[in-house]
Amino acid sequence: MAYPPFVLMFGKEFFVNRYRLLGWEFRDVAPKQAIRINTMNVGGFNVVERLESLGVKLEKIPFLRDGYWVIRSDFSVGATVEYLLGYYSIQEAAAQVPATLFEDLRDKLVLDACAAPGGKTVQLADLMDNTGVIVALDVNGQRLEALMNQLERCRVKNTVVYQMDARRVSNLGLKFDRILLDVPCSGNFATDKEWFKRRTLRDVERNARLQRQILAEAAKVLKADGEIVYATCSLEPEENELNIDWAVRNLGLETVEIDCYGEEALTEVFGRKLDDSVRRCKRIWPGKTQGFFVCKLRRRR
Amino acid sequence: MCANLGGVGEKGVTEGGVIEDFARLFGAELSLDERFVVKRGNRYFLLDEKLKDSTDKREGWLYSGTYLGKVEGQSFHPSFPLLFVIAEKAKNRITVDDKSAWLFVCGRDIFKEGILKIEGSRRKGAYTLVFNRHGECIGYGKIAKNLDKLKSGLAVKNLLDIGDFLRRERTAVQEA
Repeated sequence: MAYPPFVLMFGKEFFVNRYRLLGWEFRDVAPKQAIRINTMNVGGFNVVERLESLGVKLEKIPFLRDGYWVIRSDFSVGATVEYLLGYYSIQEAAAQVPATLFEDLRDKLVLDACAAPGGKTVQLADLMDNTGVIVALDVNGQRLEALMNQLERCRVKNTVVYQMDARRVSNLGLKFDRILLDVPCSGNFATDKEWFKRRTLRDVERNARLQRQILAEAAKVLKADGEIVYATCSLEPEENELNIDWAVRNLGLETVEIDCYGEEALTEVFGRKLDDSVRRCKRIWPGKTQGFFVCKLRRRR
Repeated sequence: MCANLGGVGEKGVTEGGVIEDFARLFGAELSLDERFVVKRGNRYFLLDEKLKDSTDKREGWLYSGTYLGKVEGQSFHPSFPLLFVIAEKAKNRITVDDKSAWLFVCGRDIFKEGILKIEGSRRKGAYTLVFNRHGECIGYGKIAKNLDKLKSGLAVKNLLDIGDFLRRERTAVQEA
């Protein structure tokens, strides 16, 4: 959307008006904390019952196999013995969706291109039952420390970690069966109280450009029958539908129907018509969860 | 937070048998496949065939497979996955009650009053793994006094506990 130069492209009013134009009426939300059971580590017992015996009240998240909302806890669920032993991870509900969209992860070569701090890497390892290989990349050394701590805590065995910009992944000389692009994004107000004060449309556009570069590199290293899952926690269409529309038109990729929590994505954004296949992506407006966008891509057939 | 091995030890697949020696402190014999134990800097990792093949061809990785621990000077700092492997074979084991387990995870030592069960060595200076009543290894320590004679008070000095993950996170936040 081209704005005339006198329009202030930041602030709550600006973004809330954009959401209205996209069909969503802004409201304040407070998503509940969520956990995800690491099934690979809890073979012999029920970790939910064990947490409940400690006084933690949990509620099954209906659209996730291993996810639970924390309804009440008198202590931090990030400081229990069960957490420290890797029986579960703290992972927001919508953030648990992307990794579940891949088909048949066992024994596959998987790229987690923007992996730190590692919540989704651990989830991938869990879904793979520690088989195959995950190549986990991130550019930020400090965040990689957090990732490696997560891998150790959750007893992940199938991952190799590189400090690398996702835009350089073809340098590894590998072709991947599955690629998770949980790309750096502008985030959303549901998880950041200062979001409207901190973000401008310039940030959104800068992130969108970076995301396209990552998408283009991922397309280069995808096997012929491979799958890419693209995800952001941004509500801004530049980082979501517009990027997927661009990828479909320029990278020889096509969207794949997915069955998960969320609404059909937009195919018209601020008056601009997008490729109809973009509707297969899912847009999650903030409510029970934070805001999110997910999409599955494969080579055009 | 580490075991000082003094640089002596029987030969193993790791340099100077550092990991095997560490396991022996608890009465456990480890048989690591030397083809798949890789030293990267001062850190040891246990890989499988696929990871070995991948990392052999591509240098520059930071972490791979199962992290086993690191050597700093004369000291070996084990990882928790290594402790869990050792736990399956260790003879020296102490099981503690819930309160003692929680205090141990918070970095505290173990008092005789909280010990439910002692297996293996009871002598002062011996290393022992510490388990909660669910049979889960939550760290290790060094026996502070001969446990046969001890009626109460300090029994096991905490050397490493799983609360270390939280302390690492706090350190990372402070450094950020």
